[in-house]
Amino acid sequence: MSTKVETALEVLQKQLNQPLVAALEVCARCGICTEACHYYQAEPVEAHMPSMRAEQLRQVYRSKHDWLGRLFPAWTDARPLTEEKLTALAEMAFTRCSLCARCTVNCPMGVDTPLMMSAVRAMATATGNAPEVLEMLADAAIEKGRDPSLYLDFYLESIQELEKELQQLTGDPQARIPVQKKGARKLYVALAGAHTILPAAAIFAAAKEDWTLSIFEAANYGVFLNDASRAKAICKRIVDEANALGVEEIIISECGHAYYAMRWVAPNWFGEDFRFRVTSIVEVIADYMQRGLLKLDPTANPEPITYHDSCNLGRKGGVLEEPRRVMQAVSTNFIEMTPNREEAYCCGGGSGLVANPDVFDLRMLAGKPKLEQVQRTGATIVAAACENCRLQLGELSSHYGAGFGVTAIADLVVKAMRLPGAHQTVEARMTSISESEPAEK
Amino acid sequence: MTFLLLTQILAACAALFCIALFTVRLRTFVRLALPVDRSLLKGNPNSGVAYALSAGMLPWAKESTRRHALAYLRGVGFHLTVFLVLALFVFSPWLGLVPPSIRLVLALICALGSLMALLGFIARFIEKSLKALSTPDDYFAVLLVSLFLGCAAAMLLNPAILPPFYLTSALLFVYMPLGKIRHCIYFVFSRLFFGRFFGRRAVLPHSQQGKVAA
Repeated sequence: MSTKVETALEVLQKQLNQPLVAALEVCARCGICTEACHYYQAEPVEAHMPSMRAEQLRQVYRSKHDWLGRLFPAWTDARPLTEEKLTALAEMAFTRCSLCARCTVNCPMGVDTPLMMSAVRAMATATGNAPEVLEMLADAAIEKGRDPSLYLDFYLESIQELEKELQQLTGDPQARIPVQKKGARKLYVALAGAHTILPAAAIFAAAKEDWTLSIFEAANYGVFLNDASRAKAICKRIVDEANALGVEEIIISECGHAYYAMRWVAPNWFGEDFRFRVTSIVEVIADYMQRGLLKLDPTANPEPITYHDSCNLGRKGGVLEEPRRVMQAVSTNFIEMTPNREEAYCCGGGSGLVANPDVFDLRMLAGKPKLEQVQRTGATIVAAACENCRLQLGELSSHYGAGFGVTAIADLVVKAMRLPGAHQTVEARMTSISESEPAEK
Repeated sequence: MTFLLLTQILAACAALFCIALFTVRLRTFVRLALPVDRSLLKGNPNSGVAYALSAGMLPWAKESTRRHALAYLRGVGFHLTVFLVLALFVFSPWLGLVPPSIRLVLALICALGSLMALLGFIARFIEKSLKALSTPDDYFAVLLVSLFLGCAAAMLLNPAILPPFYLTSALLFVYMPLGKIRHCIYFVFSRLFFGRFFGRRAVLPHSQQGKVAA
């Protein structure tokens, strides 16, 4: 047995807790989950069946942990892990599953296939079989967090420039984008690029929020690798910042995986209860609306608009109704896709796939069910509260010549706020992501 | 010692073996780590668990079972019949006390369950994707269960079939904790984890959607 295989098996062994073993043991191989997968919908081949994917790991599990599997491997289709098998497993987990959990929701047993695919991702990462680009992006984020002084001056200068745009947008010369303000109530963590800062800043200004901007970005590529140490290190920068500033709440920009990681997983990595709440900007906007802090004119967005549920934010994150309340308030022509909410289709770009240029064709294929869903609504704009989803949807629109635009929810909100300088600033920045160059993913 | 008594003893021993092995499996399972979820609740995990083990199992609760309603109902029917026959096994020495009309109804249910299992076996052969997914363990397990239910139907109609029923039961009990049928003990755990996950996020049951975190 090679060192790689030994390492992979050790990583698997360490992950064998109750939920993972239940997922490995409980499948009756009934195949009812099959059509739930967007890969299978797009290309109905056996390799795209969620149960078939999970079987690839179960074969290895049975060869180690099943009495019958060890004695009569052919009887239970138990197969030992080899380097070839490990490479195939890694390729499958990183490219043919977006960990969207649609199969889990549709399984009569509730089999957690994403948990198994995440286990494989951890095995692959530990043995150097993960996509290089994800490792590179995760390591870059960690490195950046080690010494923020290297880029802080440049960052502050950029924010000062952006502040001028904010003042122009809001018509308020006092409007500010505070950075690392001690004692602020809320810490907003944006993504790289002004497009996730400016609309949020305008909304905070309108709501008279006591907020501050994080110097770090929300994206966490360690999550995609299922490398807890990297993912924790990336989160730690923000957690430490929040603790140092004494904020009550961290608001995550419109980014599915960043929200999911910080809101639902990070407290478990740290093994402690956070001193702050974690929310998505979409939840915050819905709250402002409910409290009457935002004046919104839905006629500002008269085009037929539909909303795409990001899997990390919706099915896996529970942010299902808030975006809909916002969409109803900012648009006169909001059309629901079918199916939606916890039954929504994945766009095919999640879990790091959108960052991996090697899987473009597969990504376009896997996104077809979502594309068809959008087309059935007749919408010309798709709103999504996740950057990776927006990138994927934009590329799907361009690739298939569908002609719909893609936007963030905050952008629609700012349009509906009818701010005096909107047409010169934010609208120029936002429009459709499919038509603009994407910021760092 | 009669042949009937011999088969009864054999089946009882096999049942004890089955219980012992399942106990070992369960003990091993519960000794595994159970991750503590420290994230702030949005919904109620208990509501999620209650849903996962009740309304969440209804055929219209999810897209997949709406799409495959017949296959799903066949599966549910055959699983429920298995539980019925396990109960009949326990009470089999006193089945003579049951009125013939009730025995007839029970026999029809068991025969239907056996047929449903058999259809499952055939489906594994016919449906390309299911065939690709199936192992010899799957075929054997479903055939064994079909035989078990079929023998139950027969012995309800004719007590002379009791020895073959006990022999089939013995084989099933020995195989249960070793082969694919052992998934039965993980079912509740899997639904429990499912319910907790989607419950605490206020995703399921649907009535929780839109809840605001405390």
